[in-house]
Amino acid sequence: MTGEDTPRYTAPADLDGVVAALEGADEGTVLVGGGTMVVPAMTHGHVVPSALVDLGRAGLTGIREEDGATVVGAMTDYASLLAADTDRGPGHPLRLLARAAAGITGGPQIRNRGTLGGSASYANPASDVPGCLVALGARLRLASARGVREVPAQEFFLGAFRTARRPDEVLAELVLPHGDALAWGYVKFKLAESSWPVVTSAAAVLAGGGLRVALGAAADRPVALDVPAPHRGTADPAWRALVADGAARALADRGAAFVDDVLADAHYRAAVTPVIVARAVEGALRGADRQERGRA
Amino acid sequence: MNRIRLNVNGEDREVEVDPRRLLVHAVREEVGLTGTHVGCLTGDCGACTVLVDDRSVKSCSVLAVSADGARLRTIEDLGTEDDLDPVQRAFLEEFAFQCGYCLPGMLLTVRELLDRDPDPGEEDIVQAVSGNLCRCTGYGPILRAVRSAVRATREADRP
Ligand SMILES: Cc1cc2nc3c(=O)[nH]c(=O)nc-3n(C[C@@H](O)[C@@H](O)[C@H](O)COP(=O)(O)OP(=O)(O)OC[C@H]3O[C@@H](n4cnc5c(N)ncnc54)[C@H](O)[C@@H]3O)c2cc1C
Ligand code: FES
Ligand code: FES
Repeated sequence: MTGEDTPRYTAPADLDGVVAALEGADEGTVLVGGGTMVVPAMTHGHVVPSALVDLGRAGLTGIREEDGATVVGAMTDYASLLAADTDRGPGHPLRLLARAAAGITGGPQIRNRGTLGGSASYANPASDVPGCLVALGARLRLASARGVREVPAQEFFLGAFRTARRPDEVLAELVLPHGDALAWGYVKFKLAESSWPVVTSAAAVLAGGGLRVALGAAADRPVALDVPAPHRGTADPAWRALVADGAARALADRGAAFVDDVLADAHYRAAVTPVIVARAVEGALRGADRQERGRA
Repeated sequence: MNRIRLNVNGEDREVEVDPRRLLVHAVREEVGLTGTHVGCLTGDCGACTVLVDDRSVKSCSVLAVSADGARLRTIEDLGTEDDLDPVQRAFLEEFAFQCGYCLPGMLLTVRELLDRDPDPGEEDIVQAVSGNLCRCTGYGPILRAVRSAVRATREADRP
């Protein structure tokens, strides 16, 4: 740690301050959200900032409603999200995010500090949030001195650790439209308790009877696909083959493919995907069922 | 260098840090309290756990500058040799540590759990220590200690 390359540090008090601090920023300007990923990355020399913009005082927290959507501040941490998840129907977008947040590993310390915006911006293919945002058809609200733009989740995630965010933009909010989901299911498939997942799947039962499914951790970016309802049950081989085909097509459409890594090879990921989707769909169907019975 | 103010265990402190300085290093070296341990520096082990404004964090994953103005509670504040915190007593009585390296983090995490919910369920207990890695003791005695601390807290709360 020598004095000369000490990065400039600012902790703006609001979004305008963040935007001003980022004006003209290049790749050397590093945003600090909860810090759970970026601070260790600095310690280990993977990230060498020329300037640090700390979002911790900018107030980008809180959850509010806005014309048919729930808007979540990018600095909302997992613990706050879980605390806010009360009395909402099983199809509410926060229900899916809360399901995912409940499975975040690393203990309460990570839930207290890790943020939704940080997870989205980091774009680790193995993270929970990116796949959920794609499943929800979320829009990512990016602010810069040039103005505010919204990018659909599917177009935000460009690859492993790559997003559509430009260096002078801050992810300010996540816009979660209230879609036609009746209930959500979520399954994170991993081979050891604190390991990263091999495949994650979020699934919604839609009002029209169909299903929307998203896959995470399977490829370098999350993808969504529509799947017909399993009229003969989720164990039906014909339905599982449809899911497998749909997943392969959804990945190919985005120029992605099942990945090989230390956790599993691509062949294994492809084989296990219909099983994990089936479990997520079963969860969603149970949720929809309970709601139906609750109403009757 | 940035000058920051911290309230550490009730005492106001002012220290000067490089903006890249980790909170754990500031606590150990600038503030001089070495009960907070350094394990992995990746956010995995939990040995560096402290409470920042009553919430547990892994202090290797927080910049010291980010904590400017915050209230910190470290293991040094958790009880004295003659007057142990109920969580400390439970870990002692249940033989829930061996080398003790993980212990400061483990104790503060459990303290936060009990401060938030004096009567946590089994799932909450398991979740609470899931970010604190212990390489010697095994989680059997650790979970027994947490349950025992819960019972002690419940009994102490009884009118
Ligand atoms: C022990 C451990 C266990 C974990 N377990 C899980 C798990 O089970 N599932 C999971 O999904 N994740 C897990 N994580 C990863 C977890 O750190 C992230 O999911 C977390 O949410 C990242 O948020 P953060 O605010 O800490 O990000 P930071 O570390 O602050 O930032 C991450 C990246 O995003 C950028 N950034 C942050 N906020 C913004 C913003 N608003 N706008 C633009 N850029 C921004 C930063 O510059 C950096 O590049 C784990 C981490 C640890 C250490
Ligand atoms: S040293 Fe901080 S989590 Fe290991
Ligand atoms: S007692 Fe040695 S690491 Fe836990």
